[in-house]
Amino acid sequence: MNEVIQISNLSKRYKKIIAIQNLSFSVKKGQVYGILGPNGSGKTTTLSILTGIIHKDSGSFQWFGKDPTPDSLKRIGTLIETPNFYPYLTLYQNLKIIAQIKSCSYSDISRVLGITNLLTRKHSKFMTLSMGMKQRLGIAATLLGDPEVLVLDEPTNGLDPEGIAEIREIIINQAENGKTILIASHILGEVEKVCSHVAILKEGKVISEGSVHALLSGDEIIHIITKKQDEFMEALVREGLVKTIEKVDDEIVLSLTKGSSSGDLNEFAFKNGFVLEKIEVSKQSLESQFLELIK
Amino acid sequence: MKKLLQIESIITLNNASFRTILTLHFLLFLLVIYVFTQIDITAPGFSTKNMFMFPHVWEIYAWIASWFNLLFLGLIIIVLTGNEFNYKTVRMQIINGLSRNEFLSGKLLIIFFMAIWAALIVFLSSIITGLIFTKDISIQLILDKSYMILIYFFQAIAYMSFALMVAVLFRSNALSIIMYLLYFIMIEPLTRLFFPKVVRPYFPVKVMSDLTPVPEFLSITSNSTETGGNNILDFDSIGLFQKALPLHLSLIMGVFYTILFIAISYWIIKKRDF
Repeated sequence: MNEVIQISNLSKRYKKIIAIQNLSFSVKKGQVYGILGPNGSGKTTTLSILTGIIHKDSGSFQWFGKDPTPDSLKRIGTLIETPNFYPYLTLYQNLKIIAQIKSCSYSDISRVLGITNLLTRKHSKFMTLSMGMKQRLGIAATLLGDPEVLVLDEPTNGLDPEGIAEIREIIINQAENGKTILIASHILGEVEKVCSHVAILKEGKVISEGSVHALLSGDEIIHIITKKQDEFMEALVREGLVKTIEKVDDEIVLSLTKGSSSGDLNEFAFKNGFVLEKIEVSKQSLESQFLELIK
Repeated sequence: MKKLLQIESIITLNNASFRTILTLHFLLFLLVIYVFTQIDITAPGFSTKNMFMFPHVWEIYAWIASWFNLLFLGLIIIVLTGNEFNYKTVRMQIINGLSRNEFLSGKLLIIFFMAIWAALIVFLSSIITGLIFTKDISIQLILDKSYMILIYFFQAIAYMSFALMVAVLFRSNALSIIMYLLYFIMIEPLTRLFFPKVVRPYFPVKVMSDLTPVPEFLSITSNSTETGGNNILDFDSIGLFQKALPLHLSLIMGVFYTILFIAISYWIIKKRDF
């Protein structure tokens, strides 16, 4: 069984509001899977159902090929929204509670505090921590017991750029160590840098899913400068090579149809006697893809 | 079980509110019984000191301590349970693999150990006071009515189970405390008035408080030989209080209500989204 999470037709509504509707996707072992979507698209609801804190209305999901149980959650490190700890307890005491629940050794507490640079604050009370430190403690808690899977909901929420970079580094390190990571975010650059696969949610439905590479390589943006602009544009459209084409200042900006490459374009220009003074290929960012999809 | 005990000990023993309320509970109880024992009204055939002799001391102290159950122990449970919702630590526990059933069991363990603590205080203070005040001590005399400690222990569990249900239901500490006290002071006593007299003793608060009924002060303080051991001067007979259910029936009803409170708490925790 290669699938760590399998979700099938999951639905949840809050009174009249549909939070998620017939949501289906699966995450394979070793994937860093991003759930992208604007606020209210159902990301947190999905992760909350998967981690047992809210009930689904219909549909099903499995962890490690089996129906979910509290024991399956012990194999998962989870951070949903803001970290929730006892404010009057120290970092060590808070993590001791989680270590007890997960039946892991207290010695692991120092390891995870070390990873998240909180070892010096081990005996500080949770309420004395800054926002960034609290978030890092949340990450530390997810790493306790060295779980196979990490479920992270907006892990860089409320952090400054330095804090974001730190958390991102931790996540990348964990991914490199072979952990399966499910991460929900609306920070697209974040997901682009970290994730191997992505599902884009809109109004509780998956509107696009696949590898980040496939999603980004689907639409290469090509910038061309040629003396015979209008003729070249007409020829390209006639040939059916382009999906979108427009003139921007002295450049032609286009995206190719599926199956066509910039090499095909170059060859076409050469065969038809168009001299290309400039041909520059840029990938569409996840952000522009995302914005286009959720329109 | 061991895991839950360790988790709850970390949560409770480091909680300042828990330590403060428990200390207050202990000190105020000692203060109240100290003040009580200092009252010395003696007349021919009547002595307040009789209250602190075996076997009466068991029921007197159990009755006094029952007020502390209601106020302090109930409030501790509300605060500890309410904190789990306020701090959202119930989510933290569930996402890390604690079942909802285990979450509730943890709270029931606190209830059990706090009831033991409270019963131990009453037991020790009753023993010490009884030994000081009783002149002709015999094992028979000491053991007579000592069962009140067990009943007191059970009553503590019943009160705290009710507090647990209220805390799970309302989640906010302030609202839970208000509703808990209002129910005891107003809601149930007023509701009882709308029911026939025969039904009134079966209401939960009435059942729970009747487990440690108001002692028969007049017969206790009167010389028992002069009253012939009959409770002709008890409060029931002079119509001050409505007669309680027989003890065995109060116990059965108390068990029923305790199970009901725990079952309702379980149902709410099981069904609720966190």
